[in-house]
Formats: sequence, structure tokens, C-alpha cells
Amino acid sequence: MSDIRYDQWEPVIGLEVHVQLNTKTKLFSRAPHRFGDEPNQNIGIVDTGQPGSLPVLNKAAVKKAVQFGLAIGAEISRYSTFDRKSYFYPDNPRNFQITQFFHPIVRGGTITCDVEGHTKHFKVDRAHLEDDTGMLKHFSSFAGIDYNRAGIPLIEVVSEPVMRSPKDATAYATTLRAIMQYLDVSDCNMAEGSLRIDVNVSVRPKNEKTLRPKVEVKNMNSFYNMELAIEAEVRRQIQAYTLHPGKEFADAIEPGTYRFDQGAKKTIRMRRKEEAHDYRYFHEPDLVPLQLGEEYIELLGNSLPELPHERYLRYMADLKLPADSAAILVGDKFTSDFYEEALAIARNATSLCNWIITEFSGRLKEKGQTLKESGLTSEYVGHLVKMIEDKVITGRIAKQVAGEMLEDPSKDPREIVKANPNYQPLEDDSVIEPIVDAILEKNGQSIIDYKAGRTKALAFLVGQVMKETKGKASPDIVNKLILKKIEEK
Amino acid sequence: MDTLTAKQLNALFSSGEASAVEITKQALAKIDKLNLKLSAFLSVFEERSLKSAALLDEKKQKGEPLGRLAGVPIAIKDNIAIEGEITSCASKFLENYRSPYDATVVRLLEEDGAILIGKTNMDEFAMGASGTHSAFSPTRNPWDLDCVPGGSSSGSAAAVSGRLCPLSLGSDTGGSIRQPAAFTGIVGFKPTYGRISRYGLVAFASSFDQIGPFAQTVEDVALVMEAVSRHCERDSTSLNLPPNGFDAQFGQSLKGTKIGIPWGFLEDLKGEARQNFEKSVATLTELGAETVDVDLSLLKYGIGIYYILTSAEASTNLARYDGIRYGKRAKEASSLEEIYEMSRQEGFGFEVKNRIMLGTYVLSGGFKDAYYSKAQKVRALIIQQIRRAFENCNLFAFPTTAGTAFTLDGMRDPLDEYLQDLYTVAAPIAGLPAISVPSGFSTEKKPFGLQLVGPQLHDASVLGAARAFEQATRFGEKIPGGFS
Repeated sequence: MSDIRYDQWEPVIGLEVHVQLNTKTKLFSRAPHRFGDEPNQNIGIVDTGQPGSLPVLNKAAVKKAVQFGLAIGAEISRYSTFDRKSYFYPDNPRNFQITQFFHPIVRGGTITCDVEGHTKHFKVDRAHLEDDTGMLKHFSSFAGIDYNRAGIPLIEVVSEPVMRSPKDATAYATTLRAIMQYLDVSDCNMAEGSLRIDVNVSVRPKNEKTLRPKVEVKNMNSFYNMELAIEAEVRRQIQAYTLHPGKEFADAIEPGTYRFDQGAKKTIRMRRKEEAHDYRYFHEPDLVPLQLGEEYIELLGNSLPELPHERYLRYMADLKLPADSAAILVGDKFTSDFYEEALAIARNATSLCNWIITEFSGRLKEKGQTLKESGLTSEYVGHLVKMIEDKVITGRIAKQVAGEMLEDPSKDPREIVKANPNYQPLEDDSVIEPIVDAILEKNGQSIIDYKAGRTKALAFLVGQVMKETKGKASPDIVNKLILKKIEEK
Repeated sequence: MDTLTAKQLNALFSSGEASAVEITKQALAKIDKLNLKLSAFLSVFEERSLKSAALLDEKKQKGEPLGRLAGVPIAIKDNIAIEGEITSCASKFLENYRSPYDATVVRLLEEDGAILIGKTNMDEFAMGASGTHSAFSPTRNPWDLDCVPGGSSSGSAAAVSGRLCPLSLGSDTGGSIRQPAAFTGIVGFKPTYGRISRYGLVAFASSFDQIGPFAQTVEDVALVMEAVSRHCERDSTSLNLPPNGFDAQFGQSLKGTKIGIPWGFLEDLKGEARQNFEKSVATLTELGAETVDVDLSLLKYGIGIYYILTSAEASTNLARYDGIRYGKRAKEASSLEEIYEMSRQEGFGFEVKNRIMLGTYVLSGGFKDAYYSKAQKVRALIIQQIRRAFENCNLFAFPTTAGTAFTLDGMRDPLDEYLQDLYTVAAPIAGLPAISVPSGFSTEKKPFGLQLVGPQLHDASVLGAARAFEQATRFGEKIPGGFS
């Protein structure tokens, strides 16, 4: 295996992303669209395929699809149609899905994102509306079907095979999710299944121009796992081609539908390509073609909100944030909005950004929470950072205050500081001076070093004083006092 | 009272000469007496109908407003949903299936005071032209009990023809209202596609299906149309037009009306059927109409594309009958595959299976271009040719069928039965309004029908000309022996 030259191969990756649109009702019925209800509460005659029931298109879903299309600079079809996709499965109440096979509502478009500091443009092939299926639930002696999900509007966004690395795919998916969130067309919660990703992967030698057979990998429950799955699949295909140089491409890589085994970190085949369904697509006769007027499209185009990439550029230009920080912030709408709200209170954009994406985010990760779930408010985080700016507390105390805020997000950091004498900054020279004297007494060598031009020695001395005062002393005052004392010596 | 038209019965009720309960009891008694001979009804709503009749009488007593169909019993084809009632589509698959909601037409009929009297027999899932494809029992023709009443709306036609009730609703996909109307000597109307909501009509072929009324007179047809042809937001193909004016052209002369006759396409029409049609054309001329020859030569492909397209749609429309959520589930089935296969094997009849297989085949990879896609193109061409023909005339006249009712065992080859639709498929292919109105009898005393077809949305012109023809000929007033 050691002579497999992974670096000579190029992955070719395309994504099919299913996103549930956050409409109040389903795509073709008036049944409510809600997650987490008891099974079969949100169903009607359409969602269970009762004889004589008919689909009626939900205009709110159309609007959201058009908004998405406009947001990625796609062509909005003035005329699109719905089609029946036939296959038998119990979660599919009519045994055909209603989708847009022949004339999708969105064609083309580009997802622009930051991949490790580089701006990349990934082409989208199409996006279409379709209805979701129900869900099978397996019990010990039988299976049940929950049709609550059946009929929920999905937009399926199909990229062109334009990604060349797992990182590309993650950046594309993250940005796609952010766009959906900024437009408020979906909450894109992977854990609840409102965002689902299928990946098409093939590889080819770096100088080859044509595409080799692809493999579809399904059922990844996080962007992280998607990246691992793509890495694993790319490795598997390169190994297969290298170990079987004489085989037909398809025989070597065994195309089909694969799933990712998280434990084994391997992709495993579920279905062969030959077992693919014949879906017998044809026009859905119960729905009339969807025709959209110029005025409607223009109106939606003019009312688009600021999108992730625009915000990313603004953060770098106006707030002077570094590219990677800006990318992290805009990648999640909640975090980014949180940041901007807090920025109305705190002034230092970079420091606030670091507090949110490093300090709080790191501690939340340990707790297994997201910023949204934490209950932290932008107001209090803003005030925390402002207190540092105003030198009310030192950065070191701020970290302790942050810890208390995470434990009880309803606590105002200003009150936390007020209530705890240990958090009061030491600003009284007469208190600090004896401590400085004591430290200087103990560290004569450092004074000599400093006088010899080693500035590091000063930082050491300041650090010692801070340690002695448990971080409460104002570093400015400590600095000033030490310098004064050294001069005197 | 039992042979009165809907209009007459409504007048009787309104004037107080008969109560709704009396009218309903009379209809129930007649059904009780004669349904065994005809198998027109699959279920009869004794309690329900008497209850709504009593409510109606009460309303009248209080002086509350009454609908235009107040006190009139009406039968509903068993592929139209009534909440709480069985909607079997004459199939074993749905033998015990109760609809959880009302079809729009049912709601509108009840709002207008009509009394739902029962559900009628049919060819299973509306597939057939004889009424013999009912999973329960074949429907018989009141004019000759050895003969079929036509289909698929066999029971709805037989019930009105035998005067078991004055009105019924059927559905027409390729001729399923007009052909049985002709075979049983009554009026049957298929409106413009989209004129009546299909919400609650169990789909056979969605782009062809249309609900329509059976009645003794064209006047009654117009009356039902005014009650049920309302815009429905639960059916995306429903038209948004005012629900009136269907009688606007009643009493007008046919002077200035140009009637196109596709003589070339009718070349094979022979014998008594041809004579009857020519006589009908002569009557139309006497009424002042001018007849012109029109080219509808592409209709020779009509039957072919009709069976390709309707079967394709049906194969998916009927996919929902899988034994999972409702309807038949094979008792012996022990796996998912077996539930599908055995439930459908046991639940569907021969003809339904034929169509599902045909429809699946014409949509499948490798064959779709040659069949389904090509048929779609031919459908577009036929529509074009029809449009051109209507540039030179106001209506088309066709015989409804090429002959009179055949015997119950007369159609051994399914293809022969498919040819029953020869003259009726044009209207649903192009979504046109079309009516069959009685046009006389054969030497064997079996009825013929004249078919009038109009351009889309010209339902009133079709009804106007049919009304003129009806009043000039009065063939529909004849009642089959033993049923008056």
C-alpha cells in the first residue's frame, strides 16, 4: 500500500443538498409543518394519499425557492413544472414523489465562499422543489410509519461536480446553509433532518480531463462527518484504481450508493448501481405549470437581505477582521447576528470577535452546546467585552466572569463583577506598591536583565505582580509602578 | 312522481305538493324494488337520505332559503368521496374503504338541497365501457337486461334510465358518461375540463377525468351544472368562472350555428348507427343549423394515444393502493414485498391490472420516448387540428357510439371494448365540453345517442344545441318497459 501516490489523484466532488423550507404548512397540503410532534398528528388526506385527494402548491415554498435562486445569482424559471417520480416504499404515501425533474424552478447560480483564506466560486446546476417522505420507525415486532414529515417542502440544490477537496465540500455546504439561514427560508438543522447531504465522489489522475464513474455517499449527520466520509471515499477509490490498474473503471470502484460508517471511518456500499430504480418520470397532471411574473421576481430580488459573502467582505473592509475570523462568524447566521448586536455595545471588533468565536465557542464546545442553545445574550457578552475596554476588569478576570455567565446566562456580567470583591480591579497605588516592592525584592536578576535591554524581563515582573493580585491589578498601573521603581534603583 | 325530472320534482317540493321525505321514500322504494334487476346501486343511503329530507322539510317550514336542487334525489358514482360512506370504486381493494372527507361536488350538491340517495356501480376504477368490470356485479341496461348499460358510469346511467332517481353524477375519462348515456337513452354531459372540481374524485387519469351529470333532460343537466361548477381551490386545475349561464342559449334557434361533421373520420360508421346519425344531422339542419365537413383525420390516433396516456397516469394514480395505509391487505402477506404484491393481486381485477401494466410499460426507461412522449406530441397535434376545425364551425356533431348496447358477454376481446371510445375520446383529449342526447332507437328498441362537442368553455353552446335537439325529438321521454 505504501506506493499508492495519493497526491497524483484529483477528487471530483458534487453535492446534492436537501433543505426543508420553513413554511407553516406542507408543500401540497394545508397540514402543519412542525418538527417533534407526536407521530401522525400533522397529516391530512393529501399526506396519506387518500383516494381523491389532490395536491395544491404552497406559494410560500415557491417564494422561498425563488429567494434562494436570486441569492445565488441563478436563473429563475418563468415556467417550471412538477413531475411524478415513481417508486414503492411505505414512507411514500402515493408511491410517487412530486418533484421538478424536467423544468426546475432554479437553474445555475454560484455559491461563493472562503476556503482556508481563498475565495472560491462553486457552480450550482439546479435547484428544485419536491415533497419530503414520511419516516419509518422500527419496533421489535413491527414497523410503524410517521407521516408528519410526508409532504414537507424540500428544495434540492444540486451542484456541478466542481469541488476538488473535502474542505471545498465543507465550505460549500456551510455557505449554502448560511445563505438559507440569512434568507430565513430554512433553519437547516442537520440533527433534526432539515438539512441533508448526499455527496457524489469520483477521482481521476491529475492530468485527466474526463470524469470517471462516481459513487454516491448518503446519510452523513454533520459537516464534520461529511468531510471524513469524502476523505475515506477518495482514499478507497484511489486505492482501487491503483491496485486494479487493468480493470474497467466501474469494476474497480464498484459504483452505487454508499453510506459512511463513523466507527470504522469507511464508506460501505448499500446498493449497486444496477439496482437503481426506473423512476418513470412524467408530468404531474394534477398540478398546472408554475408561471412567475417579472414583477414578482424583481420584487423579491430587491428585498434580499445581506448575504453571507457580502457580510464577510464587509467584516474585512469595515471591521478589519482577519479573513478566517470573518469566515467563521458569517458561516452561522445566529453567531454573526449575535456578534453584530454585541458590537453595538462593545467597540473593539476584533476583540469581541475573538471572545465569541474562540473564548465562548471553545467553552461551549466542551459543554456540547451551540451559542444559540447556550442562552447567552449578545447584550451581556457585549458588556463583558466593554468592561475590558473600559478597564473595569482585566482580561483575566473577564475569563472568570465568562465562566459564571455560562453557568447562568441570565446573570449580567456587570452585576457579577459588582457582587464579587475579588473581581474589583486594584487601582489604588498604595495597595499595589508594597506588592511591587516585594516582587522586585525577590527578583533582582530580572531588574539587571531589564536594565541590560531584555524587555522580556519587564513582562515577567508584571506577570508576577498580576499573579500575586489574582489578576485584579490594573496592568497599566503595575507597569507604571515597576518602571518607576526600577528607575529609582 | 317517480318519472318526474329534477326540475319538476323541485317544483313539487317548493309548491308544497310533496315533502322531501315523500319524494325520498318514493325513490328508496323504487330502488328497493328494481335495483336487484339492474345492480345500479352499490350502496343505498336509507337513513342518511331520509334524515336530510326531514331537515329540508323543516327548513321549508321555517321559510329558510332552499337550494335549486332542494328535494331532488341524486345518485353518486362510487368513485366520488362522501364523508363516512364507502368509496369502493367497485373494486375489492376499496371494498370497505370509507372516505374521511366530502368531494367538493358532494358538498355543493348538499348545499343546494339535493338528497344523496346512494352510490352507483361502475367499471372498477372507471376502467371499462360496459359496467361488467365491477368487482361486485355487472350493471344491466333497463332497455334490455341482457345488455350492458355501457360504462364506466354504468350504475349512474342505469339508475336514471330506469327512473330510480332523476339525477346522478358520473365521471368521464374517455366517454364514461356519454357512452352509457347513449346506451340507456338519457342525457349525459362531460363539461369543459376544469369546470367541475375533481377534489374527491378518485383519480383514474387526472388530465382526462371530469365529473358530469346524467339526467332525463338537458334542462336538468344545466340545473346540476349551476350547482356544482364552482371554482375550487383544492383542485389546481379548477377553472375560476361564474357558475351560471348554462341555460343561456335555451330556446334559441340554431340559425347561424355552424355544426362541423368529420365525415372523413366517420367513414366506417355503418348500418343503423349511420342512418340514425344522418337523421340527427337532418334534424339539426331543420332546426336552422348549417352543417360543414371538418377535417379531424388525426382522431384515427385518438384511441391509441388515449390508452397510452390514460394508462400511464393510472399506473401512478393507482400506485397508492399498496395495502399499507388503507384498503385491502392480503392476510397471508408476511413481508413488505408480499403486502404489495399479494394485496394488489387480490384487490385489483383483470382490466385494472391490464392498464397498470400498460401504463408502467409506456413510461419505463427505453420505451417512454416511443410511447408516452410520442403520444403526448400526438395529443398536442390533435388539439391543434381541433382548434383549426373550430375556426369554421361552432360545434362538432358525432354519433356517441358506433352501435347500440351490446350483450353482457358480447365483448370478449378487451380491444373491442376499447373501440367503444372511438367517437368519445376527442373531447377529453382536448378538454372539450361534450354531451350525449337521445337520438332514437334501433329496430331492436335500443337507444342511440347524438354527441355534440364544443370548444373549451363553450359548455352553454353545447347545452343550448342539445336542448333544441331534445325538444324537437323528445326521444328521452321514452321510459324503458317495466320501469315507469
